[in-house]
Amino acid sequence: MTDVLPIPAKPLRARVDVRSSRRPWPLLKGRRIGLHVAALALLLAVLFPFLWMVQMAFRPADDVLGDALLFRPTLENFASLWQGTFPRSFVNSLLVSTLSTATSLALGVPAAYVLSRWCFRARGRVSLWILATRMAPPIAFTIPFFLAYRWVGLQDTVIGLALIYMTFNISIVIWFMQTFFAAIPKALEEAAWIDGCGVWQAFWRVTLPLAAPGLAATAVFCFIFSWNDFFFALILTRTNAITAPVAITNFLQYEGWEWGKIAAGGTLVMLPVLVFTLLVRKYLVRGLTAGGLK
Amino acid sequence: MTQTPSFSRRHLLAGAAALGGGLLLPGKAPAIGGTKPFVGTTLNVSTFNAPFARILTKWLPEFEDATGAKVVYDTPSFPVYNQRADLELSTGGASYDVLNITFIYSSRWINAGWFTPLDDYIRDANQTPADWAADWDVEDFLPGLRASESDRSGRLYGIPWTVDTFVAGASRFDLFKAAGIGLPDTTDDLVTALKAVHGKERVAGFVTDNHYGWTFVPFLQAFGGNVFRNPPDDLTPTLDTPEAAAAAEYFARLLKEFGPNGVLSYTEDQALQALQAGRANYTAIGQTYLSQVGAAHSKTAATVAYGPVVRGPAGRFPGVATHGLGIPAASKNKDAAWAFIQWALSKKNTRRAIVEERYASPTRRTDFASAEFKQIATLNGYDLAEIIASSVDLAARQGHMKYRTVPVYPQVDQQLNKAIANIASGQLSAREALAQAQANSITELKRAGVAI
Amino acid sequence: MTFFNLTGASLGWEHSRRRAYLAGLLPALVVLGAITLLPALFLLAVSLTPLSLVKPGTAFDFSDPLGNYRELLWDGRFHNSVLLQLHLSTVSVALQLAVGLGVALLLNVRSRFFEAIRAAFLIPMVLPPIVVALIWKILYTPDVSPLYRVLDSVGLPVDSLITDPALAIWAIGVAETWQWFPFTMLMVLATLQLIPDDPLEAARIDGANRWQVFRHITLAYLRPALVVCGLFRLIDSFKAFPLIYVLTNGGPGSATEVTNFYGFIEAFNFSYWGYASAIAVIMLLGVFAVSWLVGRLGWNEVHHD
Repeated sequence: MTDVLPIPAKPLRARVDVRSSRRPWPLLKGRRIGLHVAALALLLAVLFPFLWMVQMAFRPADDVLGDALLFRPTLENFASLWQGTFPRSFVNSLLVSTLSTATSLALGVPAAYVLSRWCFRARGRVSLWILATRMAPPIAFTIPFFLAYRWVGLQDTVIGLALIYMTFNISIVIWFMQTFFAAIPKALEEAAWIDGCGVWQAFWRVTLPLAAPGLAATAVFCFIFSWNDFFFALILTRTNAITAPVAITNFLQYEGWEWGKIAAGGTLVMLPVLVFTLLVRKYLVRGLTAGGLK
Repeated sequence: MTQTPSFSRRHLLAGAAALGGGLLLPGKAPAIGGTKPFVGTTLNVSTFNAPFARILTKWLPEFEDATGAKVVYDTPSFPVYNQRADLELSTGGASYDVLNITFIYSSRWINAGWFTPLDDYIRDANQTPADWAADWDVEDFLPGLRASESDRSGRLYGIPWTVDTFVAGASRFDLFKAAGIGLPDTTDDLVTALKAVHGKERVAGFVTDNHYGWTFVPFLQAFGGNVFRNPPDDLTPTLDTPEAAAAAEYFARLLKEFGPNGVLSYTEDQALQALQAGRANYTAIGQTYLSQVGAAHSKTAATVAYGPVVRGPAGRFPGVATHGLGIPAASKNKDAAWAFIQWALSKKNTRRAIVEERYASPTRRTDFASAEFKQIATLNGYDLAEIIASSVDLAARQGHMKYRTVPVYPQVDQQLNKAIANIASGQLSAREALAQAQANSITELKRAGVAI
Repeated sequence: MTFFNLTGASLGWEHSRRRAYLAGLLPALVVLGAITLLPALFLLAVSLTPLSLVKPGTAFDFSDPLGNYRELLWDGRFHNSVLLQLHLSTVSVALQLAVGLGVALLLNVRSRFFEAIRAAFLIPMVLPPIVVALIWKILYTPDVSPLYRVLDSVGLPVDSLITDPALAIWAIGVAETWQWFPFTMLMVLATLQLIPDDPLEAARIDGANRWQVFRHITLAYLRPALVVCGLFRLIDSFKAFPLIYVLTNGGPGSATEVTNFYGFIEAFNFSYWGYASAIAVIMLLGVFAVSWLVGRLGWNEVHHD
């Protein structure tokens, strides 16, 4: 496995490889243009469902199902969303995602560093367990958490929701940060140690700054995963801590005449995710590939 | 109720309700004295989304201004609402202060003690002022509806805000006329008529909503079948009878042959939308929805016709359901919740809903008898008020609500939903699907500890 | 870890380093244990009781610990849900791998233009699943969907997919594929760029045609990535919820009621917590089996080089 896919072990070299690699096949000019057109057409086809919803969000209410590409865009769908309970759910989503991301990073980053540097005997098993927690079907956590929250009163609270998001966020942090740490040469810390730095001092001053872009990408990931969650929030929130993805389903009853609102809600909910993805797209690719190939 | 209010709320409430009703009663205004009894209270209200909920949401600022309470009114779709409310109630959660007591769950929720008995509130002069009876008067709500909101010993848990009875309607009756037929009277007439009008001008012949545990039952009973042998005493399911099979086959055929594309996923709202847009023609659904086909913004308001549901071999069974507002036992704002319920269903506001919002589902006797209701329920020349009144009456005499007020009905309801979907989508024959529903219902009943 | 010898660090330094490492690792492990292992044990315990919050006295009733599991053996609805789950997972993972591989091969060109396009292809993957469900709800609802209108106007009316028992599961599979094929695409692209040129050159010189080169060399390099990718997606496919919740609600009939959804209904609609816990335990075991397979296939061996 590692022979074929050296990314996790030697990411830096892998990147160099990428830059130096040539096209797999020389392309003739005509073919090249054809390929461009084909790729573009495919992209349009793939993004069509997504674009269709976005355009629906901007259509006036009486023409929400219209096909004409020319129409007078309106913000009335968004405005009507802003009058209900939707803004509050948006704020809840922001709070929960930020809180869960921050705590997961605080706990997971040092652990990831240790796992990338310290080769103890149970290491493999620990890593596998961390992986398995990410794999577990949400319902397996929801039932015990729901029953427990009933007793301790964490039901329908931002904190309770942020806590359950840590079940997957901590493992995401450990998993992704390990690859980023592995890419940083140990010799740098070694030098700091010789200068008299303690392990965590060296980590704080040398390793972490070097891993900053990776850290940012990981934070964005945690944020996106928390933001996107639907199942946990559906079960564990009611009115107080309801998140945006759950709040959209409240418009679903208006089927038939509130499609504009549904589309506008969908567009708003995906907006932060798209913006963040755009910001860290380079690391997103690296993080996902590394994580997936490991 | 546990604590004695530190001041008499009686005048405050009266004033609040007067304000909420849009009328300031002379002499009451000074008593308010600018004091708002529930400042700082956030009242969480949830009902499934329905016309009345939309009206209340619109009027909320009046209640908030009068009482100082802040109201968060949550209106998910019917299945989502029921799932959430059931989960919340069964786990003793205090997230909601006012919840709708959904008809099919009423027995399960009320008899498990998950709601607050309202009798004490009604009797308590501090909570419900005596001189206010003119505006409140719980006796004014139809007795049949109150019965379904009461427990076995007769204590009242919910105040009904809607009564829904099956009415038949054709949104494009002009197509019927063109084919030389009237509104069908029997189940056989209906098939003949649908054959004649289905697909004409791209209008599907028949539509109904996919909550078949509700929409199928009038047909089931019209064919001589029923859900249980003799509810609520004998809860043996009777879904595997030949009558039930005939009814299911008939009903599934209506959906399969005459329904619009994707009818199996249609909710009440979608069915209504199809009727209003003139994409589907004939239906038999609750009058709360059906009346809106004749509303001003409907494209088919000028072509709609109304009549009673069709009669089968065993007779005509319109069926009826009611939903009420109640206070969960775990609510921490019960007094404010009760003030909200009084405001929402005060005489003034129920009448105002009819006059201003054309609300076609009154629960008060006086509203039913009012000229205003008669006027708004006369649609395209049809006296819907009369059809509704006689349907409610007939259903009450037939004891229709009995089968739906058994505690295990939600599970059986789902079995019916599945059975009809299975038949109409061609997965199973009527006999197979019903045999399965029968077996599963028995399992569910036994699991719930019901002796059959 | 040859590092210790190189530095010639004293035993004391090594000791304190170990302690420092432990201090960094333990908090995460303790918290993770508290929020994953404890609930798992709790879940297992609940699955041994007939717990239903509607019926008091069922909470600590361990009198028939295997009752729920025995019932599962005879529950046709559960068996049906497992089969559907396998069906859905197979369909969607296979489609994701095929589409992802195809698109990756098409886009495997180094240029600014293609880099931008590749990034745009990732959009579906980061969208909130509930939004994806809404998007497909719009596309699959005949009276709302532009696709149905187009098909209708060219005289090829198609029946609603999500109410057709044979096609509903495919409809969900297609929506799932739309969201997740970019994952496979990404992995394949990354792997493609690591394939050394030499064997490709050599094969070409030997007269192999394009297909032979792809079949025998490229695919051989891609296979491990595809396998891991498939397993990852397989595990995630067990979690499919928003799509089913929004598009079909398990219907028509029970045609899309997969195991996860059935467990949800039993717990959160009917309040049969004990029974739903047993279903969740079975699902957990299934997921662990696949995770173990991932482990066997090389996850995490990289640091032992």
